[in-house]
Amino acid sequence: MTNEPTYQAAAPSQGEALAIAQGRVTEDWLAVWIGLFVFALSLALLKGIDLLGWAVTTSVWTAPSKALAPASKHFANLSAPLSLLATYFFLLVVLLLAAKALRADLKRFAAGFTAIFIVSYACWFLGSWAYIAATPDKRPALKIAWSLNLTNESGFIIALLAGLIVGNFLPGLAKALKEAVRPELYIKTGIVILGGFLGIAALEQRQLATSVIFRGICAIIEAYLIYWPIVYFISRRYFGFSREWAAPLASGISICGVSAAIATGSAIRARPVVPIMVSSLVVIFSVIELMVLPFAAQHYLYGQPMVAGAWMGLAVKTDGAAVASGAITDALIRAKALAATGVVYQAGWIMGVSATVKVFIDVFIGVWAFILAWIWSAKIEPRPGEKVRTVEIWQRFPKFILGYVATFLIVLAIGIAAPGLIPKVKASMAQANLFRAIFFLMTFFAIGVLSNFRKLWQEGIAKLAAVYLLCLFGYIIWVGLLISWLFFHGILPPVLKG
Amino acid sequence: MTEPSVAEEIKKMEGEYEPLLPVERKLIWYTFSTGVVLLAIFVFISRWFR
Repeated sequence: MTNEPTYQAAAPSQGEALAIAQGRVTEDWLAVWIGLFVFALSLALLKGIDLLGWAVTTSVWTAPSKALAPASKHFANLSAPLSLLATYFFLLVVLLLAAKALRADLKRFAAGFTAIFIVSYACWFLGSWAYIAATPDKRPALKIAWSLNLTNESGFIIALLAGLIVGNFLPGLAKALKEAVRPELYIKTGIVILGGFLGIAALEQRQLATSVIFRGICAIIEAYLIYWPIVYFISRRYFGFSREWAAPLASGISICGVSAAIATGSAIRARPVVPIMVSSLVVIFSVIELMVLPFAAQHYLYGQPMVAGAWMGLAVKTDGAAVASGAITDALIRAKALAATGVVYQAGWIMGVSATVKVFIDVFIGVWAFILAWIWSAKIEPRPGEKVRTVEIWQRFPKFILGYVATFLIVLAIGIAAPGLIPKVKASMAQANLFRAIFFLMTFFAIGVLSNFRKLWQEGIAKLAAVYLLCLFGYIIWVGLLISWLFFHGILPPVLKG
Repeated sequence: MTEPSVAEEIKKMEGEYEPLLPVERKLIWYTFSTGVVLLAIFVFISRWFR
């Protein structure tokens, strides 16, 4: 038995830590630049220059030949396969530059990315099949009598399942793809682009957007203060874990998974193996949450969509899984609300709440790690001459949030300064959003590939898993639901019809 | 480090329990009680400005 799968699960953040230490560019910064690059290209549309119109878009289909098409009518003559190829080559070139900056093996990265893109897009294509995706209002136009009503976001779930098959049953393939399996890079890039998309939503509903941001901040402060001490207490008092294990475990379960576990581990000077073991659990349990919670939210919370969105942000760990859960919940709840009550909610608000809550949680990881570092070095394990530097707060600050805030504010500023440009900004963000969806898709697949469920049955991790299981499903999920309910109940996304 | 040593370490912790220090108890209690108080305040504010 080796510890390779565990390391693999935490690999991106491990590499990230090393890159920071060596002063190299990190996935965090690269996500900012890639996201801003796509965002900037899409904004050329404001000047009438269509730089991304060739990108492929997939409609809900009954005939496969009519599923794919270029995004813009300016490229109507471009065939669907060429549009798909152009999208692939664009992403390949951009991500190869990123891989070069990360000092990855470029050949292995290109091969891995190609496979990930093909499988992920195939899952999106399958998920857009009318019998899977169509909502009841679309069935007459598509001339079908029934459908699973899952919307085309079901492609995310199919991509996750495909990733899980590779990660758990095809270890050789998983190893071959490893260089390009970078869920953190993909999701952070997607979140940077998402900022612009949510900026449009905020422009149209400024009061609602302000309310969501305020409530998001309230909710996450609670997550730190109410989750962390109880999980720490349970792991110390009832499971007998040492301080070195209990603190990263509490941060991993309570805050934001892998990043929080690693930040806490280094704040309290834990050995590297501790956050690595915790991180592997975080990844595995995030996948379980990702597969269960959106469906639970659809069933029980379709009348309170914003509560459901906040719940995903507060309960599901890791950025990728949380925002991904928000995306699925958004689609599932809108479909259910339409089928059950005839109400059509505007897309993106539920996912927007999940992303907002998650982004605010990330903002405070550095502050929390700083507080723990100070308590540990001054009170718990004092070391003569050792001081905690405030610059560490910045070092631990997740930089992709700067990109998310930038795209959000740029769109907001353009819309406020020149309201006449709003339709063009909307069209720009719709193009950028196509790439956001592809980055999300690759995140789902990559999360699946990294999730090795066999780890749960291995000796040693079982006790850690028991704490995780008890705290997550016995406490975090329910307190997260309560907090989401307290702050978001009665607040609804804009209603388009009904 | 190989996993069997982690397994042994975790097993060993059962026999060598590190009792909660007073400072840890304070950290747990102060954090949690601050959270509960802030929860009440924030819920009040969010309802007030609805």
